[in-house]
Amino acid sequence: MALFELTLAEAADAVAQGELSPAELTGSVLERLDAVEERLGAYVAVSRETARESAALAEREIAAGRYRGPLHGIPFGLKDLIDVAGLPTTASSRVRAEHVAQADSAVARRLFDAGAVFLGKTHTHEFAYGLTTPQTRNAWDQGRIAGGSSGGSAVAVAAGAATFALGTDTGGSIRVPAALNGVVGLKPTYDLLSRHGVTSLSWSLDHVGPLARTVRDAALVLSALTGEDSEDAVGPGVARPGYPPSEEEDLTGLRIGVPVNYYFDRVSPAVETAVRGALAQMSDLGAELVEVEIPLARYVQATQWGLMVPEATAYHEQALRSVPELYAPDVRVLLEAGELLSAGDYLRAQRARTLMRQAWGQVLEQVDVIAAPTVPMTAAEVGQDIVEWPDGTTESVSDAYVRLSAPANITGIPALTLPVGRDQAGLPIGMQLMGPPMGEALVLRAGQAYEAVQDGRDGLAPVAA
Amino acid sequence: MSDVELTATEAARWALRAGLPLESERHAEVAATANHIHAVVRTLRELDFGETPPATHTIEAEATDGAL
Repeated sequence: MALFELTLAEAADAVAQGELSPAELTGSVLERLDAVEERLGAYVAVSRETARESAALAEREIAAGRYRGPLHGIPFGLKDLIDVAGLPTTASSRVRAEHVAQADSAVARRLFDAGAVFLGKTHTHEFAYGLTTPQTRNAWDQGRIAGGSSGGSAVAVAAGAATFALGTDTGGSIRVPAALNGVVGLKPTYDLLSRHGVTSLSWSLDHVGPLARTVRDAALVLSALTGEDSEDAVGPGVARPGYPPSEEEDLTGLRIGVPVNYYFDRVSPAVETAVRGALAQMSDLGAELVEVEIPLARYVQATQWGLMVPEATAYHEQALRSVPELYAPDVRVLLEAGELLSAGDYLRAQRARTLMRQAWGQVLEQVDVIAAPTVPMTAAEVGQDIVEWPDGTTESVSDAYVRLSAPANITGIPALTLPVGRDQAGLPIGMQLMGPPMGEALVLRAGQAYEAVQDGRDGLAPVAA
Repeated sequence: MSDVELTATEAARWALRAGLPLESERHAEVAATANHIHAVVRTLRELDFGETPPATHTIEAEATDGAL
């Protein structure tokens, strides 16, 4: 096995034991990155020299007995909405051509403090306002979309061009590309992780979170991003339990809500079969499957759009007036049209969110977690705009990918996606585990239990170098 | 009035009132997108909100340790 194929946990164990050199690991990941980047287009920019220097520093620190923890010496990528001091945060947009970040974002600072090795910035759909990330290709089939908007982060992790990465999620932008590329993605509870220094799409829906190869890896990253010494913590006195890797395979006592509406409507047969198969395995581990009704499902898209569209337009108010021609056409027209929504539309969406949070809270009193497909179909072909469903309805590809992710953004609850199989074409399928607010430990534990009983990992995407 | 669609000219006037002058060749496309967005969000008019206030940006919860 090449070093770039190691999971974060495997690499961290080896580094901690003195069996793996961070410099060699980083060198291997950079070599892999260079071998696949032309085919995948995952990165906006790669900081090769900085990465090699950071890895060498990590090696010296560890040799001197100053081991900082599991992320020490581990190479990672950052979605290019996340500030690193002295580097452009391009948001994959020409609008940001001259941008240079003055300071590190809070999450980047956390990772630097943990000793992680920054590789570079990964592509996003422009300003995170889309679900495809057109600059990047799916790690499993380059004729397919990466998904978005954290497409570069997901593809880099899937291909071995980063051991982990961070993304952002406003309507599924971590979970969608994670699912489409066969990796794990976690959208934490709203506000669990600071968005300071992260370019916003929609303030009230935005979340930052990890993408990794395994649930265990995602838990390690989340632990590093939280903790007691944050200078940008949610608030004083907020308990931060950490997210220790779980070895527990027994799910006895876990009540998993299985939606009887919405989440399995207009879902491809391969996706439904894989998710229900994964749920059967979790039942075998002792979990109780409980049917649940998803409340206010008819209003999910209206609420998501009623919040996101005016907030995004407000964020871009100045640039839309000064340099509108620099936006990609799909993003520009959404921002312009957003000027025509009323305050009444926005307030109705915020009031609907109140109702939705209350109603979801009641469902999450009946069950511990809710399990569902992450996305209704595997990766679409590049250029495909519309999905036709067997019931005769059609839907835009973007709407389809947001549909099952948006409720966790509106309600702010944690949502984890993990791979649960592949379709006939070999494309990855993701399952989503959603928990109560601040229930990260629960969804991570449930995900790790599922992961622990799989017959070996699926491994990296088979990208030809 | 909820199903009234904006014409291209009306969309341009609304945008201008919001402080965003649009070039004439953009009027039709922006109107079509705005009408599509409005068709989605107007669904919320069906809801009886009663005394429901807008959501805050804070989620009240206590962290758990994952124990079952």
